Amino acid sequence: MTAVTDRAPARPDRDGFGQLLHAEWTKFRTVRGWVIGMIVAALASILVGLLAAGSANIGCRPPGGPVRTGRACLPAIPVGPGGEAVTDSFYFVRQQLARHGSITVRISGLSGRYGGGGGPAGASAAGGGAAGMTPGLQPWSKAGIIIAASTRPGAAYAAMMATGRHGVRLQWDYTHDTAGLPGAVSAAAPRWLRLTRSGDTLTGYDSADGAHWTQVGTVTLPGLAGTVPAGLFAASPLHLDTTAFFGGSRGQSSGSEATAVFDHVVLRGGQPGARWTGGFIGGGQRAPYPLPAGGYRQAGDVLTVTGSGDIAPDVTGAGSTFPSTVIEDHLVGIFAGLIAVVVVAAMFMTAEYRRGLIRITLAASPRRGRVLAAKAVIVGGTAFAAGLVASIISVTIGTRLASAQGMYVLPVSLLTQIRVVAGTAALLAVAAVLALAIGALLRRTAAAVAVGIVVIVLPFILGVASVLPAGAAEWLLRLTPAAGFAIQQSLPAYAQVGAPYSPAGGYYPLAPWAGFAVLCGYAALALTLAIVLLRRRDA
Amino acid sequence: MRPASEVAGRSATQAPRQGAGEQGDEGSRRHLAPRRRAGNSLLLAPHAEWTKLRTVPGTGWLLAGIVAATVAVSVLALAATRCPAGVACPADTARLSLTGVQAGQAVVAVLAVLAVSSEYSTGMIRVTLAAMPRRAELLAAKAAVVTGLVLAAGTAAVAGCLLAGRLLLPGHGFTAARGFPLLSLGDGAVLRAFAGSVLYLGLIGLLSVGLSVLIRDPGAAIGTVLGLLYLAPIVAAVLGASPVWQHRVERYAPAMAGLVIQDTTGLHGLPVGPWGGLGVLAAWAGAALLAGGLALRWRDA
Amino acid sequence: MNATIEVRELRKRYGPVLALDGMTFTAAAGQVTGFVGPNGAGKSTTMRILLGLDTAEAGSALIGGSRYARLRRPLSHAGALLDAGALQPSRTGRHHLLWLAHSQGLGVRRVDEVIALTGLGGAARRRAGGYSLGMRQRLGIAAALLGDPPVLLLDEPFNGLDPEGIVWMRGFLRGLAARGRAVLVSSHLMGELQDTADHLVVVGRGRVIADASTAGLLAAASGDQVTVRTAAPAAAMAVLARAGAAVTEAGPGTVTVAGLAAERITALLGAGGVTFAEVTARRATLEEAYLELTRDAAEFRADPAGAAGAWPAGERAAPPDPGSGPAGPGTGFPGGPAGAGSRAQEAGAPVTPEAGR
Repeated sequence: MTAVTDRAPARPDRDGFGQLLHAEWTKFRTVRGWVIGMIVAALASILVGLLAAGSANIGCRPPGGPVRTGRACLPAIPVGPGGEAVTDSFYFVRQQLARHGSITVRISGLSGRYGGGGGPAGASAAGGGAAGMTPGLQPWSKAGIIIAASTRPGAAYAAMMATGRHGVRLQWDYTHDTAGLPGAVSAAAPRWLRLTRSGDTLTGYDSADGAHWTQVGTVTLPGLAGTVPAGLFAASPLHLDTTAFFGGSRGQSSGSEATAVFDHVVLRGGQPGARWTGGFIGGGQRAPYPLPAGGYRQAGDVLTVTGSGDIAPDVTGAGSTFPSTVIEDHLVGIFAGLIAVVVVAAMFMTAEYRRGLIRITLAASPRRGRVLAAKAVIVGGTAFAAGLVASIISVTIGTRLASAQGMYVLPVSLLTQIRVVAGTAALLAVAAVLALAIGALLRRTAAAVAVGIVVIVLPFILGVASVLPAGAAEWLLRLTPAAGFAIQQSLPAYAQVGAPYSPAGGYYPLAPWAGFAVLCGYAALALTLAIVLLRRRDA
Repeated sequence: MRPASEVAGRSATQAPRQGAGEQGDEGSRRHLAPRRRAGNSLLLAPHAEWTKLRTVPGTGWLLAGIVAATVAVSVLALAATRCPAGVACPADTARLSLTGVQAGQAVVAVLAVLAVSSEYSTGMIRVTLAAMPRRAELLAAKAAVVTGLVLAAGTAAVAGCLLAGRLLLPGHGFTAARGFPLLSLGDGAVLRAFAGSVLYLGLIGLLSVGLSVLIRDPGAAIGTVLGLLYLAPIVAAVLGASPVWQHRVERYAPAMAGLVIQDTTGLHGLPVGPWGGLGVLAAWAGAALLAGGLALRWRDA
Repeated sequence: MNATIEVRELRKRYGPVLALDGMTFTAAAGQVTGFVGPNGAGKSTTMRILLGLDTAEAGSALIGGSRYARLRRPLSHAGALLDAGALQPSRTGRHHLLWLAHSQGLGVRRVDEVIALTGLGGAARRRAGGYSLGMRQRLGIAAALLGDPPVLLLDEPFNGLDPEGIVWMRGFLRGLAARGRAVLVSSHLMGELQDTADHLVVVGRGRVIADASTAGLLAAASGDQVTVRTAAPAAAMAVLARAGAAVTEAGPGTVTVAGLAAERITALLGAGGVTFAEVTARRATLEEAYLELTRDAAEFRADPAGAAGAWPAGERAAPPDPGSGPAGPGTGFPGGPAGAGSRAQEAGAPVTPEAGR
């Protein structure tokens, strides 16, 4: 060995992937169009999002008052123990219950009627206007016994109830629901319900005959006061007249009420000599059910309770009782960003082929799979960054604008917010990787960009905003890359709320991470295929 | 440096002249002089553009792609839709059968964008403009040829949709007895929906040509076109809380307004009439062509 | 139709770069006009303006007396080769010519004629994407000839040609001029034009530096030095010095003489009984003439501190002293005529393709 060296300085990174990343990053950032493309992606996302958010105009007219708009129309929405917005409106016939005790009833009838009076927020009173109402229960009309932390809307509770079409249920704290005896209630098939309290622990039982009892479930309501309201309740949510056969159709909602007949009412642990008092919970001018319907009648030991409303988490869309949005509504602009990101990512690959740059690239790093991996990291990383900035700004500004316009933004936990915002950014990143892989497969810019956009966006459009029936739409959002948009869904589809959970309403057939995994699967598949082909094909 | 002896020997450098490709004298030149075909000079540019398009293999594939994408997506939509007995189905069977147009339009956009931007990405636009310096004429020729091809492919695609609808709908509960007569071009509204869809695809082609002359880069052009077509329905879907804006998007967005031509039911509830909607799309296409034409006129090639 | 190219006072600015700054020249019929200058001197811009592709801010560019954009069937007035790579790779060469022919109302017959004329042959039916650079140049020439135009504009037609191609191209251009066409050929390699062009327009920084016949330019740049190779240099020096010449010993067995014509030197040496191997009158090459002319105009210099004008851009320059011997290896005339092979080797210059011609 001679002392003469003409070598490049020793490289610390023996592995080389770091260098490859550095090279690809330099390649990326030195093409002005691509950097601009990513900035455009972020800006377009924000702008389209704001365009969509900044245009609502909610008007309202309190009884006897002038017409008002915007923030003054924001409804006063109670928040449940879990932090979610809830509907907590029902007719409550109650007494005080001590730390230990129980309440037992038999329901021998549950009936209802609906329609006529229009929506709950309508000016006409659903309770008073019997005229024009149609007899019939709603699927989630509910009546039974309840022990609540207080009569304040949004308070913790546990309730045993008979429902219109879902049998006996134990429900607590709005989002929890356990099934008991199936079947409808009638005089021939009455239902016995019992709720016992032992400190913070509440246990629900049901029985068909009052002799053989089955425990439905046990609930802990931490910090329950010494004496709490307990008693009978009835509620009936909106009647939805959905023509939801086709995804794009619109639903009409109207008020409804339920009437339950109770007997064999036994309250242990109450105050001696106390009498039942009735009242509507959750009424008021800015409540979603402003004009309460309901009342009760006592004849001997038979109590008949009529009520309207619901005890359930709030949802958006047709099932909603007030103008509301969810945070992902303000992320609709991400589609604009997605298109820009797909363009940049596809070109990041196809540009290599246009002028034969790929030969230089592969001469510099002959391990072809790693080249593609490095490109995927760079383009995915930049897309994530652009998406994150865009999502944070869109959600922050969008929700504020919505509130200012009188649109109630349904609250979700911080963790969910992070999942939605970061997930949206990750969606862009994965879409970018998919587009990159398509670019490597097709090697033609226009074709790669078009395929990249069409496979992600078109299934979404067909699934969410087209004439496809809901079933077909759901399959589209299970099987195509558009499934990934599930990551944006902030509210779960509550089984105990009878809203039409269609893709058009923002409810995806797959759970958030499952949907995202479908998109990731497509990206991984395409990338693998691209690597295999890149290795096999002549450059 | 050149020695004098060699410079003096100029004859050596002249030697190749005799061997030049174009063999020399006036007689042979006359023989080689090009013979012009008689004909309308206005048709020269379209003829050249037609030759250009038909001599790249991509064109045939893309035209087949228009038909395939349209018919395939329509068949899938039809296959997924059923009208169970005893349920009211507020379906627009004509529109349902034409669902695939939303996929076919992407292929139309690719065809039209490529017809323009491949000239820019290769630099061939200079050859083209040197051969056809009248730029407005050139753009008109290109737009006409692209649109002609799209209309031809679109007719085949829409015919496929009609056939698929006629074959699949009755078996899925959409029978005449339940108020869904077999799709027929004899029905004015159905004829309008299907023929209008062909025109729709043609207008998407024009829009794409105009925008890609303006944008030149194939990736950016196709992204812009598809963004214009696909963003509006998504934005409109979340605009439920602001009906005024929703109405505006549905009325003025090119793809949303244009696709109203496919509606055969519930016409009075639509934000824009069928032909009015197609007119909105035509206005977009015209504006894009105008902008592209002005850019082509004033920009250095 | 008047076969001329007239460029008058063209001005063009691209952003901060002044591309053309009063470009003025004429290319006449029946000759090959060389259009030479460093990269960025404005050659391609001038050609694009001539073809109506770019618009000038001022001045006029006429082909046969009219603006290109006003021509009907323009390819029958002027043919151009700007960038041989400017074609869609998936189309065959023949089809590329076919659409061009259709744009001029010509038929497939003319296409086959120009294919034969340019020697494309069977390659014409292959995808143009697979062509070598030389084939693309031939295809570009074929396209330029399609309308049998009296005016031809060729931008760097020698680029990428192999030796055979260069010889072919030279002869081809001369042949075109010989039949009365005006041929404007740009190049940044002077040597390519030395044996081709009748007339040279030398440009730099968007302006014409010299506009003269090739012979005139060479004569102006030539000294009257004569090199004598002899086994008896001392005797030769004595004889020639006595006749009044300035004589220097340039190397072993080589004497450089100034102030006497070659014929006179031969006579003197013969009379003096001095044996000699070779008497060579040295004439400057176009490169030298060019470097003299563009000393100040070259836009890019590799070595701003040195006196040498770097040519072409980015390559290391040798001192452009006409007396210093043949072009050095770094002067960047890969295609240039290096003169007699022996001479070239003597100075270490590359033996260029034409060297043995």
